Amino acid sequence: MKFGKRLKQQIEETLPEWRDKFLSYKDLKKLVRLISSTNPSTEAEMAFTDLLDAEIDKFNAFFVEQEEEFIIRQRELQERIKRVIETFGPGGSQPSETEYAAEMGRIRKDIVNFHGEMVLLENYSSINYTGLAKILKKYDKRTGGLLRLPFIEKVLKQPFFTTDLVSKLVKECENTMDAVFPVVAREQAERGEREALMAAEQSIFRNTVAALATMEELRKGSSTYGHFSLPPLTLPDADLLQPFQLPSPIPIQ
Amino acid sequence: METRPVKNFKVKQFCGSGNSEVMSSSLPVLPAPLEEKFPKLPDSQQVSMERELRSTPLIPLRTPFVSNSAVVGPLYSSASGFSSDLHFSSMAPNERHHNGASFVSQSPNVGIPFPSTPSHSGSFCPATSNHPRESADVSWCPEPIQGMLDYSDNITAGNNQIQSSCDVASDDLAKQNEWWTDLMNDDWKDILNETSASECQTKSVQPATQASPSISVHQLQIHQSVPSHSGELCAVSNSSPAAIAAAAKPRMRWTPELHECFVDAVNQLGGSEKATPKGVLKLMKVESLTIYHVKSHLQKYRTARYRPDSSEGASQKKVTPQEEVSSLDLKTSIDLTEALRLQMEVQKRLHEQLEIQRNLQLRIEEQGRYLQMMFEKQSGISNLKAPSSLEEPLTVSSDQTHSAAKIELPGKSRDESGTDPNGAKMSEGSRQVGDKQKTLEAESCNEMEANIVSGSHSPSCKRARGPDGESLTPMSALD
Repeated sequence: MKFGKRLKQQIEETLPEWRDKFLSYKDLKKLVRLISSTNPSTEAEMAFTDLLDAEIDKFNAFFVEQEEEFIIRQRELQERIKRVIETFGPGGSQPSETEYAAEMGRIRKDIVNFHGEMVLLENYSSINYTGLAKILKKYDKRTGGLLRLPFIEKVLKQPFFTTDLVSKLVKECENTMDAVFPVVAREQAERGEREALMAAEQSIFRNTVAALATMEELRKGSSTYGHFSLPPLTLPDADLLQPFQLPSPIPIQ
Repeated sequence: METRPVKNFKVKQFCGSGNSEVMSSSLPVLPAPLEEKFPKLPDSQQVSMERELRSTPLIPLRTPFVSNSAVVGPLYSSASGFSSDLHFSSMAPNERHHNGASFVSQSPNVGIPFPSTPSHSGSFCPATSNHPRESADVSWCPEPIQGMLDYSDNITAGNNQIQSSCDVASDDLAKQNEWWTDLMNDDWKDILNETSASECQTKSVQPATQASPSISVHQLQIHQSVPSHSGELCAVSNSSPAAIAAAAKPRMRWTPELHECFVDAVNQLGGSEKATPKGVLKLMKVESLTIYHVKSHLQKYRTARYRPDSSEGASQKKVTPQEEVSSLDLKTSIDLTEALRLQMEVQKRLHEQLEIQRNLQLRIEEQGRYLQMMFEKQSGISNLKAPSSLEEPLTVSSDQTHSAAKIELPGKSRDESGTDPNGAKMSEGSRQVGDKQKTLEAESCNEMEANIVSGSHSPSCKRARGPDGESLTPMSALD
């Protein structure tokens, strides 16, 4: 139930248009419960697999669409930066420091948010995969079944799980960031932290923090560790998250 | 044809409905729904369903696309064997430089996080070729190729990703490896009790012709030899032409290169407002790109261009752009920048962790399949009691594993658990964290031992212990 609650929490905190794109974990669990362990009914099993397939299609469709948008936006961002530099930059057609700074400020914000969205898409992929793995495990446990291994293999190849392109875009974004962000002195960085706390209100950032926290939680350890379980997560900068973690609306048992 | 009705049934289910006509064919269902979604390629480009020809079409498949400036990127679901290679290969581009002969010597800076799957995939392939496979195997076959094609461009980019995430990942992974290798022992019995053999069957895709140890490496080389075209049309192979239909709404996967081609075409036509989907489609000259794709893409493009603020995410803007400019003094702007920087840090952190997690997940599943396969091989000859006879198939398989397939049985027991002689192997494996490939092989070998009947005979798993400086003498029997 822990995963279910965490998933629910993530969904609530996620970007609004993403809310119905996540795994219908609860529904799948209900279906699993319907499957009787003593008398395997092909109908119930069919319902389960049908729902699974539908979910995977849903993930794929959403993921690929988001990916497409990211590709477009990434290119537009690059173009925009080029334009700003060419127009307001030092050697540009209308050099203006204030304009340049203002535009760059906007661009920086957009880059960071863009980056955030992409990472959240990766997180989306990961959370759904985890959910699938868990529900398949439950299913197999219930039916003494054979579904998990072949199914999860199929899942591994699905577009929504093959996030290499998004990952590449993220890296490119980070590189762009380095180019666009000025080097700042230390005391200014400290002041920035207070601002960042306020930034935590913003949905993308909040969602990111929640995602990290979820990951940590999910991998903290469970009673059902198996050879297919992921090891516990140890975030190198554990203190990085502390100031940003907002109180969880759902108490996790 | 199918001796496992349950599994076949489930495969059918996964593929979805409406494929009955394909089901009647001797070939499995899985490719069928893909065919519905993807336009059929010219025959010469179709990946044959024959296992033997599995990898050979890859080369001819590539060449026709050289002339295109970009190719439609497919949406696909590929079989495990190859695509897992693909994932790993895309994440371990250093492999590219190894000509498949030995994957033992991984590039040092890649370090821990990335599994040495190519060797495994190589090992899988030939290893199973000796064993008769069910027809359901073939269902896995066509997809890998598509997967490979799709990610050809990503492979080159993969380098940077890996390097940067390596350092952080290595520590995490070290602990993680130790942790889960310890846990694996008992649970393998569960896995091995499963009769599903589907994973193994993916390996049967082995191209007899492509004897290269790692198909992924081979294909990587191919990819490098041609200009990296971002997308490849999904070569959905299906021997049954009836099932192939250009669906009304085929799902396509765009790539940056393809988008670049799109933008060029749009600009040629005078901009995003003036360009029409039909015109763009004509100009792009990309096979299998439908007007529907172009239309929706154009729509997205227009939105992104003319409303850049709103399309940049759902962040709540605390300060409107006007306010931002007017009230902006130096201090505030610096604070804002720092806030953004910090937000970026957190996001970067999440991204790293997600990558690590994903690699782990892939690796875990890979491990599972490998062990399953090994066990099946083992159980196939479990009647033979003599150690030598056991040794034989394993030797054969290890020969076929081009990687350092010589797995050495650790003679000393390191583990305290007396009841479990394989515990030593486990901790042994955990020592080899730095070299995933060896670890995987050792563990799988050890697992096999754990499950061998009566444990009286042990397969001679020979492990090359490079870093440990131990000898490579094979040990034919467990203590």
